[in-house]
Amino acid sequence: MEITFTINNEKRSLEVSPHQRLLDIIRKDLGLTAAKEGCGKGECGACTVLFNGEPVASCLVLAPQADGAEILTVEGLISREGELHPLQQAFLDTGAVQCGFCIPGSIMTGYRLLQDNPEPKREEVRQALAGNICRCTGYQKIVDAVQLAASRMQSGGDSSWAQDL
Amino acid sequence: MENSRRNASGRPKASGSDFEAEQENIQELGREVPVGSADYLAPKSLKKALEYRSRYGYKAVVIAGGTDIMVDYFERLSEVSSWLDLTKIQDLKEIKFGPEKIRLGSMVTHRKLATDSRIRENLPLLAESASEVGAWQIQSRGTLGGNIVTSSPAGDALAPLLAYQARFILGSVSGQREVAAEDFFTGPKENVMTQEELLIEVVIPTPREGTLSRWKKVGKRKAMIISSLTMALLLELDDKDEITAARAAYGAVAPRPIRATELEVYLTGRKLTEISAGKAGELAAQEISPITDIRGTVDFRCQVTRDITEQALLGFQQE
Amino acid sequence: MGTRFVGKKVNKVDARQKVTGEAKYTEDLVNDFADLLHIRVLRAPHPHAYLREINVEPAREVAGVVEVFTAADFPELTEFGLIIKDQPVLVGIDQKMRYLGDALALVVAETDAAALRGRDRIELEIEELEVVDNPLRSMEQDCIQIHEDHEIEVTHYLDPEMCCDNILSDNYLDKADVKKGFAEADLIVEREYQTQFVEQLPLQVEKGIADYDEESEEIIIWAASQWLHDTQADIAQAMGVTKDKIRIKQPVIGGAFGKKEDISVHIHLALAARELKRPVQLIYNREESMIAQSKRHPQIIRHKTGVSSEGKLTAWQTEMIMDTGAYASSGPAVVRNAMFHCTGPYQAPNVRAACYAVYTNNTYCGAMRGFGATQMAFAYDSQMDVIARELGMDPADFRMRNAYQPGSTTPGGEKLELGVNVRETIAEARRLSSWREGDNNA
Repeated sequence: MEITFTINNEKRSLEVSPHQRLLDIIRKDLGLTAAKEGCGKGECGACTVLFNGEPVASCLVLAPQADGAEILTVEGLISREGELHPLQQAFLDTGAVQCGFCIPGSIMTGYRLLQDNPEPKREEVRQALAGNICRCTGYQKIVDAVQLAASRMQSGGDSSWAQDL
Repeated sequence: MENSRRNASGRPKASGSDFEAEQENIQELGREVPVGSADYLAPKSLKKALEYRSRYGYKAVVIAGGTDIMVDYFERLSEVSSWLDLTKIQDLKEIKFGPEKIRLGSMVTHRKLATDSRIRENLPLLAESASEVGAWQIQSRGTLGGNIVTSSPAGDALAPLLAYQARFILGSVSGQREVAAEDFFTGPKENVMTQEELLIEVVIPTPREGTLSRWKKVGKRKAMIISSLTMALLLELDDKDEITAARAAYGAVAPRPIRATELEVYLTGRKLTEISAGKAGELAAQEISPITDIRGTVDFRCQVTRDITEQALLGFQQE
Repeated sequence: MGTRFVGKKVNKVDARQKVTGEAKYTEDLVNDFADLLHIRVLRAPHPHAYLREINVEPAREVAGVVEVFTAADFPELTEFGLIIKDQPVLVGIDQKMRYLGDALALVVAETDAAALRGRDRIELEIEELEVVDNPLRSMEQDCIQIHEDHEIEVTHYLDPEMCCDNILSDNYLDKADVKKGFAEADLIVEREYQTQFVEQLPLQVEKGIADYDEESEEIIIWAASQWLHDTQADIAQAMGVTKDKIRIKQPVIGGAFGKKEDISVHIHLALAARELKRPVQLIYNREESMIAQSKRHPQIIRHKTGVSSEGKLTAWQTEMIMDTGAYASSGPAVVRNAMFHCTGPYQAPNVRAACYAVYTNNTYCGAMRGFGATQMAFAYDSQMDVIARELGMDPADFRMRNAYQPGSTTPGGEKLELGVNVRETIAEARRLSSWREGDNNA
């Protein structure tokens, strides 16, 4: 069956089967491989994408359910000029990236949090990111990254990471 | 909303619980049961959904948020011959606040329950329990109706629904019926629904002002965890601080969510200040019938039930 | 000393690709292959059994299944393993499966769904044996032998009644005179500690792709490994080919934590790619990764410690029995590492230790963060708390009194000269945790 949806601000039509998951069509059919599969059962958060504005485990969404949906992945955060989103930059600057497998998912949840809550407290970041497991256990720096991005986005500019922390 | 019954359903039991039975179920459903050419039915109206339900029954696997059913069919989606997807039915996503009753559509998500200010104000047990389902990713998709129809004893919404004396509206092509939350669940992952029916709405009597309530979820982690046990405790007080009604509901401590009626009898008619929190805890622990499984032993569940009940009452007394 | 980087913040070289999603992990490469075949592995239905018959014909009949391989297809195969070669690539007829992760057959198909369906149709006949799930049972006289062909000579007996058939490795150390140390003690404390299996759980499970170059007869494998060249050598020896025929191209790894030191998908991929002359992929799911690949070793640790009434350690004796599971993996090294950490960062003048790695039918254990030292840490620091309580001393003071200083010697006799910061660490931990004031100079 054919479905139509918007992904990273681009309208796409795709022939899908109900044997596929949203994660499969994003990774295989569209070739957007940032979102990862860590468990396939909605436990780890590595496959998190924004689906109609909310973070979801894309391994738990049936492909046809994406008909009419608006989807955003990490690939969609980069500007046309190739500039990183402040949150991506903050993940770099705080050293939040280790093996990197959880990062695309963590960034998407963090991105959504900052829409609701532009100045999240540490505990609020931890709560929001509870569904994104990092087995390198880099949680402190991931929380640092979200808060650093928040402060940079609030001040409207980019300053050196060391001053912000 | 994952409609299922263990015996007749085309849906396997919880993943990993019984692989052979799962295989049998899948074969029983199999590919040899064609449902026309449509593998995926996503009606926009409830009426159409009920027609499909009447026509295909368990042969079409009902999917709402998918947060349970997609786990059950992990790597075996190709063995589902037909899906009945309820996510396009807008009517089922509505919340209506009346003077007497609050009506929640079965497709309302946990996230909506957790963040809606009127739900938080009027039904705090439900809002708090929804905020502890999985994590954000699960709350975005998982629905109240799915939690109910999956009927896992550990379902986080179930104890609050019992405490609020919720009633479930079940619909089919031949009409509607109303079932009290307490009568709905018949065993682990079992309920009274037939293969013709869908859960349409949850109706909760609007709690009186001055109602006290406590929600507690105990699990091995703070997030992304199936509950080891849950408690929803609700007291109605008159202006002399006397308890006029008490409802104590627990999840994951029996084959289905239960109310501790002995405890409720003990609490009702007494002044809040005269209650022995310790005795209340003991009564609760005596009334549950838990099992030992990967989420906790019998001893653990009894002790924790006692402790959280006692702490909840001490908390009320201090307020 | 260079000044370009030392003391400065430097971004990791691959961090940018990881925040944009451009970094290529194994599974991100599958789109680069047009006609990739899918493998599913049939694993042991029982943790300890002889395979008597295997019928793969029903699997071959499944639409989409290209080929099904069993041990019979590869008579040249030998066993593999990081330290001791004791693990079969595929369990053959009349050979034993020793844990639930042992591979019995490889089903290769055009789609993953077909491979799964084929796998589930394979028929087996097995002869079940006693399942040994506990290392103490493994060491009993009447216990069944798990590896009949792996004889080891045990020289240091915990107990003369002990059966050594299932012991993978025994280790022993003596420092000074432990008997004399116990004679000098005012208090002797004996306790047993147990630790459990721990799953490393890297967020990325085991995955791989392999292709075969007919001209050069090279097998190219894209899969994570923590020991690239050891993995290459082990694959080559197991398959009976020279190392130059095995090329491993290491994609970005999504975490390993020791779990990816062992061979997982590699040899199965290599065999299928070579036989079918087509690119193949093998992607575990989380359950398979948990069942088939290594864990942290559970240990039973018995400490007997002598201490003077002033709170100075006089003697420390440790017995440790470690469940290494069905195969050796890193077990022989982990058990030694654990043994040499038996007193932790505390100075004991007289030490004796006897430590065993024992086969069972549990999932095999291997490397994980800390490599044996973490289990010991739980046991020796628990022991220190117990002793402090019995002496009526503050546990931080008691630790401070026995902590390593420059010039201390370890149980292995190594003299510590530089970088001995235990006392500073205890003082700082005390400050950060607002632990009650004590005598940091005790």
